[in-house]
Amino acid sequence: MDALTYLFSSWLQPELLALTAIGTFAGIYIGAIPGLSVTMAVSILISFTFSWEVNPALALMNGIFMGGVYGGSRTAILLNIPGAPAAIATALDGYPLAQKGEAGQAIGLSTVMSFIGGMVGIIVLALAAPAVSEFAIKFQPRDYMLIGIMGILLVGALSGESLAKGIFAGAFGILLGTVGLDPMTAEQRFTFGTVSLMNGISPIALMIGMFGVSEALLQLHHLQKEAVKQKIDRIIPVWRDIKRYLSLSLQSSGIGVIIGALPGTGGDIAALMAYDHAKRVTKNPEVPFGQGAKEGLIAPESANNAAVGGAYIPMLTLGIPGDAVTAVIIGALFIHGLNPGPLLLMEKPDMFWFTVGNLVLANIFMLAFGLTGIRIFTKIIECPKAVLFPLILLLSVVGAYSINNSVTDVWWMLGFGVFGYFMKLYGYQVAPVILGIILSRLMDDNWRRAIISERDSLGDFALGILTSPLSATLLAIIVFVLFTQTRWWKARFGARTEAPVADNTGASARQG
Amino acid sequence: MQDQHTVRRPGELVFTLILLAGSLFLLWQAYGISGFSSMSSAGAFPMAMSAAMVATAAVVFIRLLRLPGPSQALLRLRTEILPPAVVVFSLLILAYCVVLETLGFLLSSFLFLLSAITFLQGGRFARALLLSVIAIVCVYIVFRLIFQVVLPEGLVPERAIMAWLHDLFAARN
Repeated sequence: MDALTYLFSSWLQPELLALTAIGTFAGIYIGAIPGLSVTMAVSILISFTFSWEVNPALALMNGIFMGGVYGGSRTAILLNIPGAPAAIATALDGYPLAQKGEAGQAIGLSTVMSFIGGMVGIIVLALAAPAVSEFAIKFQPRDYMLIGIMGILLVGALSGESLAKGIFAGAFGILLGTVGLDPMTAEQRFTFGTVSLMNGISPIALMIGMFGVSEALLQLHHLQKEAVKQKIDRIIPVWRDIKRYLSLSLQSSGIGVIIGALPGTGGDIAALMAYDHAKRVTKNPEVPFGQGAKEGLIAPESANNAAVGGAYIPMLTLGIPGDAVTAVIIGALFIHGLNPGPLLLMEKPDMFWFTVGNLVLANIFMLAFGLTGIRIFTKIIECPKAVLFPLILLLSVVGAYSINNSVTDVWWMLGFGVFGYFMKLYGYQVAPVILGIILSRLMDDNWRRAIISERDSLGDFALGILTSPLSATLLAIIVFVLFTQTRWWKARFGARTEAPVADNTGASARQG
Repeated sequence: MQDQHTVRRPGELVFTLILLAGSLFLLWQAYGISGFSSMSSAGAFPMAMSAAMVATAAVVFIRLLRLPGPSQALLRLRTEILPPAVVVFSLLILAYCVVLETLGFLLSSFLFLLSAITFLQGGRFARALLLSVIAIVCVYIVFRLIFQVVLPEGLVPERAIMAWLHDLFAARN
């Protein structure tokens, strides 16, 4: 009974209701604007909400998180610039749909599927939190490392011209992530003796550069081309479509929750894995993947919002953040004197049930705002490119500058923007670079933990992987992904694996 | 689909060569961190990654060598890879970043927007002026005033102006 009271406390108190609504609304736009990230917004908000009570602060942040993960899909669909890493996979099929003039439908469908995914995530959070955390607790360091490799290989294999280019991009990203002082030994890595490099390269600067600047430069090739008028007459998707894709949406949500619940992996990997899953289970898509298949839109959108609920599971039950945003939220909880961990559920069940109920509320707001605010939003893409590109660049500069209030990050952003421009032109994907820099620390730390526990012996390390069912399964998946890239596989199953995935920005721009 | 392209793109060989050379340099740098001292050293993971970069860049390079080179490479480089719009626009961004701190956010962004919009729409200065002013005001309100993002102040004494506006507003109430 008590749990029920806590569950609906944010529904009944006007202040909490309003804060959740504001948070969700702001989150959608923050998530959608390239260069503004949910992580950044939540970090800034922590300083504002420092003096608040814990529940209002949580209501605002839950709303921003839920709205932000969804909002990233908007610009992915309309501009082919994923507003957040979790929307990278959305752009692969969402943008081709928009180019065909079906932006309204794409956004409507992705909104409903995000809602379904979000609900699945929250239900799993509520019901299975203890069980799932027990599963995650069994993960060894080597498993985290294998998951990291799997994630990057998946992006590399999914996209771009060849696996070699995908691996290059992924390895480059990981290497960028190691720049700075080694967190374990404080040795300098790739700092060239400069102080500014000791803190490493900001992933946000890299992201803004590669997704914002390079895309704007690339689009200049098609300045004369008329912008596709976005037909937005049918925003609310037809029931037939929802019913038809419900099964895929639920499967993808399942993937999303599991990936979200794994510490360190969030909506971005969940979305990519769900996209890959959709490609495998959809035998005869109406439209090939990469050219506007609705399956390719539904899977990542369901999964990344399902991952939100999933990400709260290890945060609330183990004290380990499920992804970057929950890492910031965990910081907020510490500030408010709460100690997330195995005891939280016992000592403060009100906190847990409040969070669950509040997330449901945020999810409902997301659906409402998502299905009503599209008309204004789609106007962005109808705005002339001569105004749009300078504005994107302006926002990119503001975003990069505000990371550390320094011009250094602006220069990094610009450098990566130009480099990303050439990468895209020559058939390299930029998504693996971003994923690489985000996962770098996790992979490096866990590789070292794993190899230290095997006393630096590669043989024991390999034996450990092969004899553990979990690690062996992960390794098998990696081998399978590599195998699908061989000529033999492509010749045999070519029809299914070849169509994929135009380069998320470069190829479509070239074709266009 | 576009799995194997049949002709080298203009400049592609040079780009790949730069990637290969850069990867080798990074491998050498990674080796410099802690050499082959142990599998768990600070340099082991970076070395593995840079080695992967060298290997894959080499694969791409060798594959490229087998393809025929592009015809009229220089002309196509200027139209397909670096068209004038991209070059001019890049120079504008570069100039914007250079003067960002000295001129401050407001002035440099305004000048950047004005010149970039005028250039991209091919003239129509008055329209560009209007759009730039509107855009700058919106960005300023959203980022500086709502998100409280600190932006370089530079020449425009915006804090003094804001304080003056604030006083004016306070006096009226």
